[in-house]
Amino acid sequence: MELNFSPVHFIAVPLFAAFLLPLLGRVSQKLVTLVPGVVLLYLSVVAITLFPQAYDTPIVEIIAGWRPPFGITLVFGPLAAFLVTMITLIGFVVWLYSYRFIIREPLEKYYMLFMLLIAGSTGIILTGDIFNLFVFLEITAIAAYSLTAFLRDHNGAEAAFKYLLIGSFASAFVLLAIVILYANVGTLNMADIALRMGDVPDKIKLTIMILFIVGLGIEAELFPLNGWAPDAYSQAPSPIGAVFAGIVVKAAVYALMRVLFTLFDLPTSSHFLVVMGTITLLVAEMSAMRQQQIKRMLAFSSIGQMGLVLVAFGLGTKEGIAAALFLMFSHAVIKTMLFFSAGYLVFFSGHKNISDLEGMGREKPWTGFFFSLGALAIIGLPPFSGFWAKFYLLVSAANASHIFLIALILFSAIIEAVYYLRVVGRLYFKKFNDIEIRKTPFTGLLAMGILAIVTLVIGVYPDFIHELVLPAANELLDKAAYLQYAMIGQ
Amino acid sequence: MDQLLNIPAILAIAFAGSILVFITHSVFPKLRTAIILIFTILPAYLVWQLPADSGLVHFTLGGFDLSWGTNAYSRLFSLLIAGIGVLATIYSISFMKKRSRLGFFYLAFLTTISAMYGIVFSQDLLSLFFFWEIMTWASFLLVIYYSFEDQKAGIRYFVFSAIGAYSLLTAIVYLYSFTGDLSLAATFKVIPELDTTQITFITILFLLGFGVKSALMPVHVWAPDAYRSAPSPFTALFSGVLSKMGVFGMGLVLFKFMGGLEQGHIIREILAWLGGITALLATFYAIFQTDAKKLLAYSSIAQLGYITIGLAVGTPMSVMAAIFLALMHGIFKSMLFMGIGSVFLQTGSLDLNELTGLIRRMPLSFVTVLMGIITVAGVPPLGGFVGKWLLYESLITSEHYFLVAVTFISSTAAFLYLYRLIFSIFLGQEEKEFDHIKEVPWPMWVPMLILASLTMLTGLMPGLFFEPIAEAMKFLGFQQVNWEMSVLFNTWGNQIDLLAMSTSIFSVFLLGLAFITWKNYKTTRYVTTKDIHTSGEIPTENENLTYAVDFYRPFERAAAPVFKYKVTHFYESFAENAEHLFDLLRHVYTGNAQTYALYVVIFLVLLIVFSGWIFGIQI
Amino acid sequence: MIYYITSIALILIGMYAVLVKKNLIKMIIGLSLVDGGLHLLFIAIGYVDNKTAPIFSKESLTAADMVDPIPQALVLTAIVIGLAVTAVALAIIIRLYDHHKTLNVNKIRELKW
Repeated sequence: MELNFSPVHFIAVPLFAAFLLPLLGRVSQKLVTLVPGVVLLYLSVVAITLFPQAYDTPIVEIIAGWRPPFGITLVFGPLAAFLVTMITLIGFVVWLYSYRFIIREPLEKYYMLFMLLIAGSTGIILTGDIFNLFVFLEITAIAAYSLTAFLRDHNGAEAAFKYLLIGSFASAFVLLAIVILYANVGTLNMADIALRMGDVPDKIKLTIMILFIVGLGIEAELFPLNGWAPDAYSQAPSPIGAVFAGIVVKAAVYALMRVLFTLFDLPTSSHFLVVMGTITLLVAEMSAMRQQQIKRMLAFSSIGQMGLVLVAFGLGTKEGIAAALFLMFSHAVIKTMLFFSAGYLVFFSGHKNISDLEGMGREKPWTGFFFSLGALAIIGLPPFSGFWAKFYLLVSAANASHIFLIALILFSAIIEAVYYLRVVGRLYFKKFNDIEIRKTPFTGLLAMGILAIVTLVIGVYPDFIHELVLPAANELLDKAAYLQYAMIGQ
Repeated sequence: MDQLLNIPAILAIAFAGSILVFITHSVFPKLRTAIILIFTILPAYLVWQLPADSGLVHFTLGGFDLSWGTNAYSRLFSLLIAGIGVLATIYSISFMKKRSRLGFFYLAFLTTISAMYGIVFSQDLLSLFFFWEIMTWASFLLVIYYSFEDQKAGIRYFVFSAIGAYSLLTAIVYLYSFTGDLSLAATFKVIPELDTTQITFITILFLLGFGVKSALMPVHVWAPDAYRSAPSPFTALFSGVLSKMGVFGMGLVLFKFMGGLEQGHIIREILAWLGGITALLATFYAIFQTDAKKLLAYSSIAQLGYITIGLAVGTPMSVMAAIFLALMHGIFKSMLFMGIGSVFLQTGSLDLNELTGLIRRMPLSFVTVLMGIITVAGVPPLGGFVGKWLLYESLITSEHYFLVAVTFISSTAAFLYLYRLIFSIFLGQEEKEFDHIKEVPWPMWVPMLILASLTMLTGLMPGLFFEPIAEAMKFLGFQQVNWEMSVLFNTWGNQIDLLAMSTSIFSVFLLGLAFITWKNYKTTRYVTTKDIHTSGEIPTENENLTYAVDFYRPFERAAAPVFKYKVTHFYESFAENAEHLFDLLRHVYTGNAQTYALYVVIFLVLLIVFSGWIFGIQI
Repeated sequence: MIYYITSIALILIGMYAVLVKKNLIKMIIGLSLVDGGLHLLFIAIGYVDNKTAPIFSKESLTAADMVDPIPQALVLTAIVIGLAVTAVALAIIIRLYDHHKTLNVNKIRELKW
């Protein structure tokens, strides 16, 4: 029997599962916690199966038989394959962690929203139609707003409200950009738009681009549009914080890059990206250093890393984009591990402040170990994956003769080292006073363990990922090739 | 081919050892010692067996071409790592016996050693940096191991190391953008072809990077606290070997990178002066210390200053002096830290104002520290003399007279702190509270005595070291350097026969000792510490009244005005101001949802209004 | 033309409400206004003079007699999205009111810096 896998599954299956879960909840709670795991495992299998094929010739899936440029297409090229596989694997690990972490709240709601997040994120990455992009952006956003407020404390509601307010601005601007775009090119298919962009007057093109930059930049945590991010990351439940940092923002950055690279010409915005990316990086790292709460610190650190990714994209060369993708992958893995361990540290100690976490490393040795590993990895130390990511980025920057940029990036790395290592030091500092000796769930440890192994393996043998990101980077850069296979309907 | 696989094997075994210890530590504690020993001695043995000039092991990783191999220069340092590494490990097994979290300790300890092997065997810049960073974080973990006040020391260490490491990284990627080839061989070829500003830029970055590890002033501030905080067995390794990695790098930079370049002259002069200042100031700081480990730390910084002078001056004799001093420092500093560590283990204190009169209780440690002191002071018949002699000789012949004066002053001043060290701890009256102190177990004093005998050996037959050093220097580009087993030459044709000299000194010393003892035997009496004169004040039990307390107080008071301005203050105020700035910056995130929305709209408006300037097309 | 002006005016009024008004409910109303304005703009762009709705209601209608159907479809989707967002927003506001007892955005500022 030949298994007929198709990229549609990435969207359809979690979507279907999402709406099925409340029904299953009536039957048994156990089922509710297990089904998402099965779904994500299945999606991972699909992703890995389709992987080689996507790298060979991109799979273009036509929805409902309407050929492009009228219908919606899903484009599963190397870039999409890489990102989607990353998302499904991270999603699976998050499920593993959530299995025993989320125990109090109504489970169906959590997992349903989680499935929606997965469906939305993969949808953003797979789609070849710009309005479809908007729709998936919204799906992801609504699920995200709700999940931010999931824990029933007022801080969560406050964070969710800020996220919602700014996020709505994001959707408004993106929609406005689409409206003006449609008015000028008359089509919604991204490949088709790319073909017709040449006829649009420059001023209008720039307006549309700016609207996209601001709109998608809000989701991609560009400075100064990222005010919502620290609150949302720190107030959401820890696994969701990991999903935000590891999945959602990556999809948003992808969307921004797809628009900038494919619909517009990169050279216009590359300088802007490099500069704003650096500012994002610096402000975020500096703010992170003064944080008292551990999850908020991680949030700022994430923003900083995204700034780095934007800089890498902005460099515009094949190596630069490959570095950006490598950074995204490395960051997703490590940040997830950090959020997981921070989540346990906060949960078992009952304190959110770093100063109150003293000695937790001795109480919970494995959790402390994973946090320390994550801290070392994210600073960019060998032999972890973060080192290679940063190295590729610096090499690309050097090739473009941006020595000052290199200095700034390394300066922020030093700041990062200080605040992360301070926490690591505190973990082993004194004896922990409060009595709290519940055991850490095995699934959580397993999840963190998997991530740690991945980052170590890639750190020692980066070729695995390096070989995958180069063709993906090529796809983003090579507009002509994309147009060719995305427009098979023509 | 068989030979070529040795190096990856060494590294694999060494790293595997550290991971293995960590994993099996909680499960099979009894196995732990065995594993540690096997995985330390085996790589050391293999290193010993390596030929001086093996070929290169090439492989590709992550799209870069990497290569590992040895040359005479690397081999020298690898032997140092192997030797001191094994001895320190054996010492640590006994020292750390009753401590907690040993898995973590040995993970970091063995990883540091493995990383150091990696550094010396790297023949390309990326591998060098890769292992350099691993070494940095592994040693960081050990600095914060005890973690009482040590956090600050650890962070400070890491920040300075990071500054150095990132300077290295900047230089590496910058070079790579020119050459497209990361191997050292290619780098050696390319550098002469760059223009002066580029070469200066790269050299300064490299020297900064390696200088931090060598605790050169003004980037030395991490060293005293870091050496103090780390557990003594590791400090032996830290000060003895890790700092030599910086020396290793500096040698590469000064001689292989910059070779015979004219442009290098000014940089070398500045470096020599920095070395001199380091030596001088560090010696004085050492005199003021009351903590034994910190005293030794400053002493290390001073010694590294001498080594830097030697490297910077650049004549064949000075470089030989520098490398010889480097090896000697590796030996005697580890020895000293081990000795002091033994005292700490038995008494629980490192405070020179507290310790006293341990000579009868810990005779072996006494001998160790005594030999160490004599070597540091540069007095014959021990090895330090040879190094100092060569250094002075080379400075005089290259007409750096002022540096001779600086070196001489600091060497002489070194007597002050060296004497204090041994007097405070071992000599002087005995205190009751130390009555129960015993000597340390054999896994600790055997390495110490081995090292002590090495210092004696090199004092009598320095030729043993001269041979590999000369080979190493050939790699660095120097001509054949003259040496002989037991004889020191100077440029005017005179020579010292060390064996004869040492024998004569030794016999004179013994005769003198015998004479004094015989003369005063009948008139000696034992005094307790309470047998003193007081002016109306009655001393209490807890005051330490031994002779050595506050030894150099008057000296300190006299020199205090000069030493008010420490570089540390500068760094600390810089860090404080930076944190204030960051605090201001983070107030951007006001927490008010509407403000954030306003940011968005303002940003949009600004982008549109200034679109011409930002994007090139004005709306 | 009038439609463009109205829709842009709606958008601007909505943004004004979000940026200036302190009451949370008013801010959400502002968001809805922005959405409304955007939808109106979109449809207005698709509008062709004197053509009719893009529904095959009579046999004789051809594509040439209709306004652009795509904006209409898209706006339908967008309206639903806007509805969902408003619903979530109001739910969050209820939670916020429960805890803070106020709807003033300046007073709800516990997470800062």
